[in-house]
Amino acid sequence: MTAALLDVERLSMRFGGVTAIDDLSFAAHACAITAIIGPNGAGKTTVFNCLTGFYRASSGRLTLNRTSERLRLERMPDVRIARAGVVRTFQNIRLFPAMSVLENLIVAQHNELMRASLYTFGGLVGLKSYRSAERRAAEIARHWLERVGLVGRADDPAGSLPYGDQRRLEIARAMCARPILLCLDEPVAGLNPRDSAELARLLREICDRERVGILLIEHDMRVVMDISDHVVVLDYGRKIAEGAPDAVRNDPAVIKAYLGEVDDAEKA
Amino acid sequence: MAAIHAPARTPWGARFKDAALAAVVAGALAIPLIGLHAVDDAKGLRIGTRFDWVAIGIAFVFVGRLLMGGIRQFHLVNPFQPLAHGAARLRPVARLLPWVGIGFAIALPLLPFANRYVIDVATTVLIYVMLGWGLNIVVGLAGLLDLGYVAFYAVGAYSYALLAVNFDLSFWECLPLAGVFAGFMGVLLGFPVLRLRGDYLAIVTLGFGEIVRIILINWQTLTGGPNGITGIPRPTFFGAPLTATPDEGVTAFHQLFGLEYAAVQRVMFLYFLILVLALVTNLFTLRIRRLPIGRAWEALREDEIACRALGISPRNTKLTAFGIGAMFGGFAGAFFATRQGFISPESFTFIESATIVAIVVLGGMGSQMGVVLAAAVLVLLPEFGREFAQYRMLVFGAAMVLLVIWRPQGLLAHREPTIRLPRSDAPI
Repeated sequence: MTAALLDVERLSMRFGGVTAIDDLSFAAHACAITAIIGPNGAGKTTVFNCLTGFYRASSGRLTLNRTSERLRLERMPDVRIARAGVVRTFQNIRLFPAMSVLENLIVAQHNELMRASLYTFGGLVGLKSYRSAERRAAEIARHWLERVGLVGRADDPAGSLPYGDQRRLEIARAMCARPILLCLDEPVAGLNPRDSAELARLLREICDRERVGILLIEHDMRVVMDISDHVVVLDYGRKIAEGAPDAVRNDPAVIKAYLGEVDDAEKA
Repeated sequence: MAAIHAPARTPWGARFKDAALAAVVAGALAIPLIGLHAVDDAKGLRIGTRFDWVAIGIAFVFVGRLLMGGIRQFHLVNPFQPLAHGAARLRPVARLLPWVGIGFAIALPLLPFANRYVIDVATTVLIYVMLGWGLNIVVGLAGLLDLGYVAFYAVGAYSYALLAVNFDLSFWECLPLAGVFAGFMGVLLGFPVLRLRGDYLAIVTLGFGEIVRIILINWQTLTGGPNGITGIPRPTFFGAPLTATPDEGVTAFHQLFGLEYAAVQRVMFLYFLILVLALVTNLFTLRIRRLPIGRAWEALREDEIACRALGISPRNTKLTAFGIGAMFGGFAGAFFATRQGFISPESFTFIESATIVAIVVLGGMGSQMGVVLAAAVLVLLPEFGREFAQYRMLVFGAAMVLLVIWRPQGLLAHREPTIRLPRSDAPI
């Protein structure tokens, strides 16, 4: 296997006395789906927040290996991390609800369009090159709308979409930002089995066809076991197991963390 | 979205209780405010009572509250309802409306009923329209509640006044400078409030507005303090003054066009000047809404965290919104100074900020036509209300309350997307 896309080394995150992530190391590869699972409160979302710069990690090293350069994510602000190609979605969907579906996807291409509009000045005078850049952006948006099956709703406010469509739109929006590492926080939460299977297929497709690395937090074990290449299991901020889905499924430490032990239950 | 839900039927007992509560509050307010008054008679000044008035007031509130419950209950006519329901059907009309408005605005001074008073009031309306459009960038698009917008209006006005009085610069030279200074102040204010949102931002901007006003009062040597600045030069028609007796060797406006001098010419000139300035503001806003920066403003209003996750810098986005919004406030300020010929800190109190915010919110956040409508309502209502003399603020307040009940989202709250999916003719 080639060098990892993302290297997480000895990452720790403490909030006062609480250690949310304790000495966590793992790697995520391009064109592969790495799932992070664990019981509620295990620190999964905190890992995402450290990775994407929403939190500043207490210690540890987060390296993003791009083709041309190595970036130390723990030193970068969130906006620059996103520009470097680490784009995330949220557990509770965060769209721009009053803006149309298409606008959501255009906003995701902000930085390229900003350059094309010569930082607004060229756009104000109606530069031709900006207009064609905007058309290209709309075509990229159309491509993703087709992939997630929302072309018919392109001009409707994003907030008016049903829940499942909003989930898919958020992923489409993240893809319009041209990520190299896509971080998905519970993308199938709240979806019915048919929709979640369909979304899982889409994720696998994105991973294989767009050559994007996917980091996935998910509680739906069927989805995780189906599409992941690699699974990292967290409990109380520590990694308790790691490996291929099948190996992790049968790991006694994982079963213990999820189901508890008779002894534990009595002590508590 | 605009549909108002019919409230559940409330039993009479609850409605009586509600009305009684309102009556108690009314009584508590009315006893000191209406019940006691100063009487000046032969024995000197003493306090008189008129509790009969209080009783009438309380009864009025009680019955009114009871009836209002009834109105809600039976879901009586809402005059704005068809506006909301017919939004789709009205789209062609809505598209025509701005052009009709512009046509009317251009023709207004030539209409038979237009006299100096009408044009003056229309000019005031347009100043507020322009301020509303400027603030709409900050509040309506970027969603940053700015309660100190009048500060930028003041900076623009004082920039023009000081530059014109001290350095003899003309209006047309000062106008861009006033915008630049105000925009600079906007960015300057933007920095400390980058991390603030919602109520906190509102309080800090309010404070900023007051700081600017207090500096204007106290910096006597520069601003003339509370006395303000007098003798601010009037604008010229590209160098031709609009006066009856121009200086030696200068051609006045009426001479230039071979007209008879009339005082109304200057009023009309000012009117057209602010009309052009306001339309430029509008054009700029409509255009920038469709550019990445405009979309980023709206995205920021919708969800700042999502913006950050997409690599949109909230700092740059907020600062440009503050800066550009303030710039238009500065332009309007320069116009205000040249129109009045005299400015003092009294013109830039908090009530002005509140009025401008009210215009934006009443119009429907982000709606350009809504701002026009709301500015007209807010300026004209007190004007028409003059016949009611001391009750005109009461009429004004009642109109506000009705609007809030019937159109809480603003007069025109419909939002058009800035881009539509182009037809797919060519494969990608």
